[in-house]
Amino acid sequence: MGESSEDIDQMFSTLLGEMDLLTQSLGVDTLPPPDPNPPRAEFNYSVGFKDLNESLNALEDQDLEALMADLVADISEAEQRTIQAQKESSQNQYHSASLQASNFSGAAPLGHGTNVAATGISQYEDDLPPPPADPVLDLPLPPPPPEPLSQEEEEAQAKADKIKLALEKLKEAKVKKLVVKVHMDDNSTKSLMVDERQLARDVLDNLFEKTHCDCNVDWCLYEIYPELQIERFFEDHENVVEVLSDWTRDTENKVLFLQKEEKYAVFKNPQNFYLDNRGKKESKETNEKMNAKNKESLLEESFCGTSIIVPELEGALYLKEDGKKSWKRRYFLLRASGIYYVPKGKTKTSRDLACFIQFENVNIYYGTQHKMKYKAPTDYCFVLKHPQIQKESQYIKYLCCDDARTLNQWVMGIRIAKYGKTLYDNYQRAVAKAGLASRWTNLGTVNAAAPAQPSTGPINGTASPMTDAPRAAAQRHAETSKDKKPALGNHHDPAAPRAPHAPKSSLPPPPPVRKSSDTSGSPATPPKAKGTGGGGFPSPPDDFLPPPPPPPPLEDPELPPPPAEFMEPPPDFVPPPPPSCAGNGGLELPPPPPPPPAPAPDSARPSPAVAKRPPMPPKRHENPGTPGGAGGGEQDFMSDLMKALQKKRGNVS
Amino acid sequence: MAGMKTASGDYIDSSWELRVFVGEEDPEAESVTLRVTGESHIGGVLLKIVEQINRKQDWSDHAIWWEQKRQWLLQTHWTLDKYGILADARLFFGPQHRPVILRLPNRRALRLRASFSQPLFQAVAAICRLLSIRHPEELSLLRAPEKKEKKKKEKEPEEELYDLSKVVLAGGVAPAVFRGMPAHFSDSAQTEACYHMLSRPQPPPDPLLLQRLPRPSSLSDKTQLHSRWLDSSRCLMQQGIKAGDVLWLRFKYYSFFDLDPKTDPVRLTQLYEQARWDLLLEEIDCTEEEMMVFAALQYHINKLSQSGEVGEPAGTDPGLDDLDAALSNLEVKLEGSAPTDVLDSLTTIPELKDYLRIFRPRKLTLKGYRQHWVVFKETTLSYYKSQDECTGPGAGGVQLSLSLAVVPDVNVSGQKFCIKLLVPSPEGMSEIYLRCQDEQQYARWMAGCRLASKGRTMADSSYASEVQAILAFLSLQRTGGGGPGNHPQGPDASAEGLNPYGLVAPRFQRKFKAKQLTPRILEAHQNVAQLSLAEAQLRFIQAWQSLPDFGISYVMVRFKGSRKDEILGIANNRLIRIDLAVGDVVKTWRFSNMRQWNVNWDIRQVAIEFDEHINVAFSCVSASCRIVHEYIGGYIFLSTRERARGEELDEDLFLQLTGGHEAF
Repeated sequence: MGESSEDIDQMFSTLLGEMDLLTQSLGVDTLPPPDPNPPRAEFNYSVGFKDLNESLNALEDQDLEALMADLVADISEAEQRTIQAQKESSQNQYHSASLQASNFSGAAPLGHGTNVAATGISQYEDDLPPPPADPVLDLPLPPPPPEPLSQEEEEAQAKADKIKLALEKLKEAKVKKLVVKVHMDDNSTKSLMVDERQLARDVLDNLFEKTHCDCNVDWCLYEIYPELQIERFFEDHENVVEVLSDWTRDTENKVLFLQKEEKYAVFKNPQNFYLDNRGKKESKETNEKMNAKNKESLLEESFCGTSIIVPELEGALYLKEDGKKSWKRRYFLLRASGIYYVPKGKTKTSRDLACFIQFENVNIYYGTQHKMKYKAPTDYCFVLKHPQIQKESQYIKYLCCDDARTLNQWVMGIRIAKYGKTLYDNYQRAVAKAGLASRWTNLGTVNAAAPAQPSTGPINGTASPMTDAPRAAAQRHAETSKDKKPALGNHHDPAAPRAPHAPKSSLPPPPPVRKSSDTSGSPATPPKAKGTGGGGFPSPPDDFLPPPPPPPPLEDPELPPPPAEFMEPPPDFVPPPPPSCAGNGGLELPPPPPPPPAPAPDSARPSPAVAKRPPMPPKRHENPGTPGGAGGGEQDFMSDLMKALQKKRGNVS
Repeated sequence: MAGMKTASGDYIDSSWELRVFVGEEDPEAESVTLRVTGESHIGGVLLKIVEQINRKQDWSDHAIWWEQKRQWLLQTHWTLDKYGILADARLFFGPQHRPVILRLPNRRALRLRASFSQPLFQAVAAICRLLSIRHPEELSLLRAPEKKEKKKKEKEPEEELYDLSKVVLAGGVAPAVFRGMPAHFSDSAQTEACYHMLSRPQPPPDPLLLQRLPRPSSLSDKTQLHSRWLDSSRCLMQQGIKAGDVLWLRFKYYSFFDLDPKTDPVRLTQLYEQARWDLLLEEIDCTEEEMMVFAALQYHINKLSQSGEVGEPAGTDPGLDDLDAALSNLEVKLEGSAPTDVLDSLTTIPELKDYLRIFRPRKLTLKGYRQHWVVFKETTLSYYKSQDECTGPGAGGVQLSLSLAVVPDVNVSGQKFCIKLLVPSPEGMSEIYLRCQDEQQYARWMAGCRLASKGRTMADSSYASEVQAILAFLSLQRTGGGGPGNHPQGPDASAEGLNPYGLVAPRFQRKFKAKQLTPRILEAHQNVAQLSLAEAQLRFIQAWQSLPDFGISYVMVRFKGSRKDEILGIANNRLIRIDLAVGDVVKTWRFSNMRQWNVNWDIRQVAIEFDEHINVAFSCVSASCRIVHEYIGGYIFLSTRERARGEELDEDLFLQLTGGHEAF
């Protein structure tokens, strides 16, 4: 037993040693031997690129050289990392590695000569070189056999660990990589290496680093099929290599890096997708001005429940008939399980619907200029097809909408149905990335805060609460009390005295006022914010400064507070009224709730005068509430920064 | 002290005689007569009653019920005067907790003791605590529908009645977990069985029964159910419920907070059951494709719960798969073989090779199936004219990567074991039919194709279970679906097999034959075959929640100014006005835009004000306006829940939002 386990250990050691050698000799994606941790590996990898950014930019048309340089950089990095003793013994291998690399880059032009983006793509799935000779004993060996402590479990554990390590190295060694030519929005191109494990998100991050763009959430990888005249964005969670490997060898397809505001439109304006009352004009107007908090609660409702809610979407679309250039109008409905249509002579009840397509194996694309190509009724077309299909086929479904708005609704709806919560997660990651990026730029150079920023501003505004737990909670809290208000309202109840439970009415979570004063009183709040929180919003906050460079504080764009709107119903405006009192119809004013801080009772006084009024309308209330809240504890580092920036600007000008 | 007398026997204080019946509202019951004054406290009266009865018994649960006022006298420090009780009051001294029979969401009956004196909200909370269902605010009780007396001849078979009436929960403390169930269930075999009933999905119902059960045929039928909800701010006694009555326990509010398979086995199961019955009884409509998914999930869930395989099935984590495979591989190989072999063995993937008949439909071909040597390795299928031909990779053969095969479409009937593959290629889809000789061969190839379509190889540990699942389904089809003439068709023939009719709503029973249904369910099943029991239940619930009509409670109302009845749908975030005749949505209002609502109890009208001065008023036709009011308030209450607060309930808030029409 003892002997055999020793054998095993030894074999592991040799195995691991080989692996190490292998990975190192590959020269790319080198890992520090003791910690084979993929994410970190990626990090290292990108660092390698970062150093070379300048040279890359300079040599843009000669991407190959740049890539080559990358490779070499990687290798040298690996070199540094290796232990001295090792260096000598393995120098030969490094040498051969760089040879390999240059071979590779020499071969690459074949793939790239033909303006082919990702495909021609030198695809080097490295075959494992024959195992080197046995005596590699001076390599850093894995921990010595656990014999002294030898309990069987421990052994097993150690064994498992080692095997895991071995497997990971094996995988590492076999990672497939593609060189992808990405077309930038300024008609230039960049080539970058994408490995098999990278998601679109990783590639985007990579590109952000290379391009120094503003990193906002609208940036996306975009694939275009010139032959079919269709295009779509990569979803952030999609595996890039996987998608690209569906392309044929001689394809004209391209990958673009550009901004598309459609990508996450639903998260910026959920009301356009979830609350659209088909075609009614008045609703359109009201939709536009939904405030940030309502948006957030709508999103939460739609994406954070046990199951996500797919927007209700139905209407007549044109369907291209198989193999013909004629289009037939049919009534389609979107459901979580697929797209359905109403067969002739049937109603649109669930039981009559016929399934048109399910989303498991199809991707959705925008069709461009199909009016010309296929005689579509309009140019607002979308296309559903299996990702592997690259040529005209009866298995591609073409649909055509009446207008752009409908098109966007359908495409987004289908994406929501297909990807579900993943889409929302992607968005949150994108926002986090964007937020981080803008924070960095802000920190870095004041002037570089750049005109591009304002566009990210509002996005941050709506989004950061979702990533920021306490703040989200606070907002929800505010909403909570809002929701309650109507409830506490006066049920006309002629007979029954409310006496028995009236006192309890002070128990429900306190009206917002209490919250805001709480937060403003909290020690953590910066003094300035306290001012806004307690002092009241009407005094035009500094957000009203002309919009130039530094982005205004986060929430502002969502809450343009034209004073007129605030003022019109004065009683409602009473700053932080305890709506529950007003709500009780003044039957009795509950004793001021035990804990409220001083201001509350004061501000409560005016309300009995308007006692018969319905409770504070939630909407009105929120508007004042939010700036206060924003000024209060929810302030995050970023908005602080921005404010500081702004102030500085103000002083300067 | 009441009852002071003179020597002549006249009472000199203002005391009077109070008669109290002992027992539960039974006029024949024994009674005691006490001498009291208006100043006597209820507590004192209780004491006297017990003294007079003079029986050794635990009286702690007893209290006085005042019949005329329909009120419990629970404030022991109040005096009779304060309650306004005079000598003519009919008082009953009885237990506050009485047995009722609960009809659970899974349609099983359970006897337990419910509080007849607390507001229903609290009573339900107590019941849920006993059943270990979290978030009792989502549930409520309904009156059982009146039995139609006309057909007495068909005596319903005695059904099993589970009994929890003797189980008493210690107050306050969260029930501890013992042997995988809350401790209070582990007392006896009987209660243990009861817990299994609660926490495990029930087998599919008999299709014949399913056809007999009433189903709503129109929207107005769907409103019927909602007229039976009990009032959550009043106690059972006040609502005329008697001991031993049958009540339905159902999820009332379709807003399920923090559903967690780990901590909520009973809740999850009951929710699943309610969803399933909703679908089977066509309370909620779905499309054919959706029904197949629901059926497949039911089949899967039933299979898992029958086999007792409650835990996670193996093979959920591909990483561990690899590890396991590698470990076992290594252990085998380590006996003195070279390291290169180890490397090889780590990456070796099993393959299938056999002579199969292949058919590729093409335009203008009339060729039928042809014999080919087929090799299936990793996720690639290659075929050759003969075995000799396959020497090098791709030599003379055709290779198809199944890595993204759309649907291995099954077509099984009788002895025809075909697999239809739709293989995507740049030019479109190509169709290929593989024809196997027997079940075994079919199952192996089919399992391989299925895994390949998900990008897995046959090295995946789920391969064996996949083969088993296919074989099981085939046998199911033979028994249940009626093979070609082997068995008489019909549900009764399926003794051990599963009848697909029990998995779908009756209208699909009419539309499809069982043998048409089975392959479609099988097809849907392949997508869910890997789920564990809890996951499958959760998936079922999610699919149910994704239906457009999910979670809408219908009531018939008449809008102010309208002359005809219409339907008001109440969902967790909105109110929907629906045309009664056509079923079209006329208008939707969201709760988030709501400012307030009022109920005028005199004219039974609900008035709601939304933002931008939109006012809506309607009177309720099919249910009382109390029910509508409670629904709206309840949903608003549920929307105030927060994760941070845990399971504490702001009961007062709930009662405020939903009650308020009567003093209590």
